[in-house]
Parts: sequence; structure tokens; C-alpha cells
Amino acid sequence: MNRFELLNLLQNIIQKELVVCNIGLPSQELYKINDRPNYFYMLGSMGLASSIGLGLSLAVNKNVISIDGDGSVLMNMNTLATIGNRAPSNYTLLILDNGSYGSTGDQKTFTNERTSLKDVAIGAGCKNVIECSGEETDQNLQKALADKNNSYVIISKIKSGNVPIKPIPLNAVTIRDRFRKEIGLVSYL
Amino acid sequence: MKISQKIITNLKSGGADFFLSVPCKLLANMITILENDKDIYYSAIPREEEGMGICAGAYLGNKLPCIMMQNTGIGNSVNSIVSLLQLYQMPVVFLISYRGTPGEPVGAQGGMASVTEDILNTLRIPMLHCNTEQDLDKISTFTNHAKVIENPVAVLCNFNLMKDD
Repeated sequence: MNRFELLNLLQNIIQKELVVCNIGLPSQELYKINDRPNYFYMLGSMGLASSIGLGLSLAVNKNVISIDGDGSVLMNMNTLATIGNRAPSNYTLLILDNGSYGSTGDQKTFTNERTSLKDVAIGAGCKNVIECSGEETDQNLQKALADKNNSYVIISKIKSGNVPIKPIPLNAVTIRDRFRKEIGLVSYL
Repeated sequence: MKISQKIITNLKSGGADFFLSVPCKLLANMITILENDKDIYYSAIPREEEGMGICAGAYLGNKLPCIMMQNTGIGNSVNSIVSLLQLYQMPVVFLISYRGTPGEPVGAQGGMASVTEDILNTLRIPMLHCNTEQDLDKISTFTNHAKVIENPVAVLCNFNLMKDD
């Protein structure tokens, strides 16, 4: 199972949730599968999907899912410590770990070698760290969303590979405003 | 403590209700005040760049965030400021302890001090310079200004203003 197939598998679970999606192909694939206003697509700032979702989860009472990648988590690993110490129970970090920098040509990441993001997350203080296959990801994500007392970090081990895709045609402020409208903060749209 | 209390009071009256900090000796009193303030959210964080991300998320959830840091933190955060906060037009207040300004005992701080304002100018970030206690009265309006222009603003607190607080 690759990222595109996994995002397809998760559609029924995530389509009504607040989702912060990683820059590049993850967002573009999510957009192609089923564009929704409750998906915050990142157009820049690689590495910060986990942090943006954390900030949002601290500000709202709804479930928040950050869909991140192994390369991006490796770029911003310090935020795992912040998540480990501060993530509220409505926060789930879902790392699609395909061992490669998909958006830049599938160069291998260190999770292909000696680095375990599961061990890093546990060492950083994260609770409820689950490493699973792509096929097991939907049931683990459902469990995380249903648990009102705990935050989760799910590391989904999938295959590399991407589908041919175009950049997201939405501009950033449009993404911002329609996302905030979903939270009930924008009345003029 | 008087200066630090005045800064926090003005940030809050300007609307800031979500605070993060990466530590600096000059911010120590402010951090103590925030740690004991039940009206707002506060957390220390390990790095400024992730703070920009956390602030972005908090803004999406209707907070007006403030991140407290040394001016060195601007250097750690340039891409996240441009490609996240400014791209999506998100208000965040940068409360900056301006290390390397006159009175600073650590010579090595002079390097980032000499380029801090050039970086902020290049990024077109409005600046409020605080050199005296009277300047602190402007922080409230300036904080609200971030919300009005839907973009980050920077409050720069000089070394000599903060050192004896």
C-alpha cells in the first residue's frame, strides 16, 4: 500500500475531521481524492504539519489530525517533544512513513536505515505510539479518534511511490478561510 | 518585574491569548508571569520555527498568538514566517528580547543584532522598538494591529530596558 492508496482507505474516517496535511504530494493527493474545506493543505513550511495541528488542537475542542510524512518529521523532530508533553487528547499525529522524500523524487530518508520514528516519539515523551502497516491504519486511527482521554501518534509503514498529480489550484487565503469557516469562525463565505 | 508585567498586560489588552516562549534571560520574568496566568494558554517550546507552526494552528482556532524569543529566533524561522504566516495571512506577535543591543555583555550576540532589523525589513514585518518604559504603552495597539493587518508584527525590547527588571 502506498500513500495514495492509504489516503483513499482513510477517506470515510477523516472526511468530517479537521485535518492538517503535509506539504507537497500528500496534500495534492488528498485534494485529488476528495477536496474538502476541513482539510488544511500546506503550501509551504515543510516540517510544520505536526506543529500546526498541535496548535489547532490546543485552541479547539474538536478532533484534529495532522497527516505528516517521515521526511517532514525528521525535519522538525523537536516538535515530538512538545507533542509528548503538551498534546491534548483531541490531537492525533498520523505519520505516513514511506521511507522516502516523495515530493522531491523519492530519495530515501533515514527511516530506511537506522532511524525508528516510533522509538523517537516514545523517547520524546509521546504516549500511545502505534506503529502499524498501511492496512491496519484505519482501525488504529478510528481508535485514536474515539478515545476522548488520550492523544496518539500513529506511524503507518507504507511503500513509497506517488501518482502523477498537479499542484493544488487554491490560494492560501482561500484554504485558510474555508477551513476557519468549518470551525465556525468565518461568516462572510 | 515591573517592565515584564507591563509588557504582558499590554499584550493581553491588545488581544493576545496564546503564548509560547523559547527562553532568554531577559524573558525570565515574563515566563514566570505567564506560567501563573490562568487566563491564557502558555507553554515553553524547544525551537522557534515549530513555534511558528503552533501559532499558525492556534490562529486557525481563533487565538491571537504571541511567541516570545530572542532575536536569534527570527533567524531560525524565516521560511516558516514567509511560507506559512505571511502566505496564509496569519497574525502573530513576535515579542523579541533584542540581544546584542547596547548594554549587552556577550559580544557574540552582536552578529544577529546587526542583521535582525534588516531581516525584519526584508520580510516587511512592522516593528515596534521599545527603549523606554513609555514605549511599552504602544504594545497593546500594536498587538491589535497584527490582527487588523492579518500578518505578523515584531516588538523589539532592547537589552537596557530589560536588564534590571
